[in-house]
Amino acid sequence: MSVLAVLKQGCTGRFLQIVRPVLQAKQGGISNRIRKMASGRYFYCTNLLTMFCVSTENLSYRFTPNEIALQQLNLRVPQGAIYGFLGANGAGKTTTLRLLLGLLRRQQGEIEIFGQDFYRHRIEILRRIGSLIETPSIYGQLSAEENLLVWQKIYQCPRGRINEVLKLVDLAHTGKKRAGSFSLGMKQRLSIAIALLHQPSLLILDEPTNGLDPNGIIEMRELLRKLNVKNGISIVISSHLLPEIEKLVTDVGIIHKGRMLFQGSLEELISRQRQFSSVVIEVNQPEQCRQILLSQHIEARIEKNRVMIPVLPRQSIARINAQLVQEGIDVYEISTEKNDLESVFIELVK
Amino acid sequence: MEISLIQSFQSEWIKKKRSLASWLVSVGGFFIPAILLIGRFYNFDGIAEVNAADNAWESLYSRCWQFMGLFLLPMGVILASSLITQIEFRNNSWKQLHASPLRFSTIFCSKLLVLLLMLLQFFVLFNAGVYLLGTIPALFFSSIPFPKQAFNASLLMKQNIPYLIACLPVVALQYLISLQFRNFLIPIGFGLGLLVASLIALNWKYGYTVPYSYCAYAFLGKKILSNPMVNTNYWALGYFIGIIVLAFVLYVNKRERG
Repeated sequence: MSVLAVLKQGCTGRFLQIVRPVLQAKQGGISNRIRKMASGRYFYCTNLLTMFCVSTENLSYRFTPNEIALQQLNLRVPQGAIYGFLGANGAGKTTTLRLLLGLLRRQQGEIEIFGQDFYRHRIEILRRIGSLIETPSIYGQLSAEENLLVWQKIYQCPRGRINEVLKLVDLAHTGKKRAGSFSLGMKQRLSIAIALLHQPSLLILDEPTNGLDPNGIIEMRELLRKLNVKNGISIVISSHLLPEIEKLVTDVGIIHKGRMLFQGSLEELISRQRQFSSVVIEVNQPEQCRQILLSQHIEARIEKNRVMIPVLPRQSIARINAQLVQEGIDVYEISTEKNDLESVFIELVK
Repeated sequence: MEISLIQSFQSEWIKKKRSLASWLVSVGGFFIPAILLIGRFYNFDGIAEVNAADNAWESLYSRCWQFMGLFLLPMGVILASSLITQIEFRNNSWKQLHASPLRFSTIFCSKLLVLLLMLLQFFVLFNAGVYLLGTIPALFFSSIPFPKQAFNASLLMKQNIPYLIACLPVVALQYLISLQFRNFLIPIGFGLGLLVASLIALNWKYGYTVPYSYCAYAFLGKKILSNPMVNTNYWALGYFIGIIVLAFVLYVNKRERG
């Protein structure tokens, strides 16, 4: 049986949608992509075979012999995903993204983007990537339009794209005003415009909401979502602002001290989130309350004079409440604690 | 390669728009001729005599180079080369440039090309300034003749080529240092320090080995050289090629790119 036939077997529509154009383009032979699928560069996720837009193998980096920035990092960004790359300051996010863009020299490990080795196909790959790394990279003495003209010359995209992206980021009105006198938010938006100018297939954004006001953050989120859904652009976005990422991403990677602590879909992370959440019961007699719960095989502990139990279905909580009242215990409050991604992150990095 | 070099050069040329370096080149080219023009009008009686002489242009060029060649020209080249190269550091844009689909060699060559063309631009403006220095008095006053000597290509070559070649090692070394250091004061301080050292070393037996000394030698001529057999043009060109190769190797092998 051919590799193609093996791959087709048991695969659902989404996979075939992805693979069909490749099959059509490579009639009579097995394309590199298919070969890689067969060699295990793709993984099964909820019964779908997912293709990676970006993947790294054991990526390691040291700034000095004693300063390890990344350790054996295996990043997997699915095609078409909005991948949230999370980590505290100094965790290794920017180092990873710089390596992905070739801004740091490779020391150890492999990087593949669009199924091609980055170091062998650097120019072809970079032609399809838009990036914003940390602070905006704009020429202060030039206007927004002139800044875009600098990059239009390099990417050789149609001149009309300049006005399109300026409108997209709401900077069309800036005229001849020098970019150096823009607010930080405007500079950040101009950087996004630069990243989008050549209609990339992949956007790599390092903390793009830095310096934006709440409205700017919402607009940026909407813009990125639109680009992902309408234009099919894969996005890698790093942040240390977890609530910000939570509202945007489809996939998440959590990095800490150069190691990947978690990687998977947002749903997987949310299910982890449940594990780390607790129900807090505040009563007048915590110890007696704990004994009652333990007698019902509910794992209960006392913290700061409050009884903590794992998250349970709402009906069970109601039943516990009724029982505690029946046993003569005064129940002051029942609430859920640690129910945000922040807590998951803290639990993971502990 | 050629196509991307042109694209990259166009992009680099836009970046220098309204930059301090481009102002420096424009103003610097006319600066000394403008000052001398004011001086000529101040000593109005001598204008006609100078213009009527057989070597009118040579005399005017000599006066201009007297101020320009020894200090102002290399200093201007130091400032302009450093400012242009530092545009990326100042705007935090090395990372964006290095993440664009350009070969490092293309980026390196296009920036160097901009520097060399700006140097050429300076010489064009300077020569235009000298031309105006000679002709403006005659345009306004009928009693003053136009310079008698022909303003032709051989005159231009003779007056400019030695200085142009003498500037090349300065451009190369400033380019090398400016590519390596984020702090603007390092290339400027290094350049000015080496310029002063080269002026001090002019009478030294091996003064011609200092790469910033060739503008001064171009003005002062061979008489100051301890060894008249030394061709400073070859030295300057040799330094330029050697330093550019070194700058390229260092640039390509940089560990961090913004």
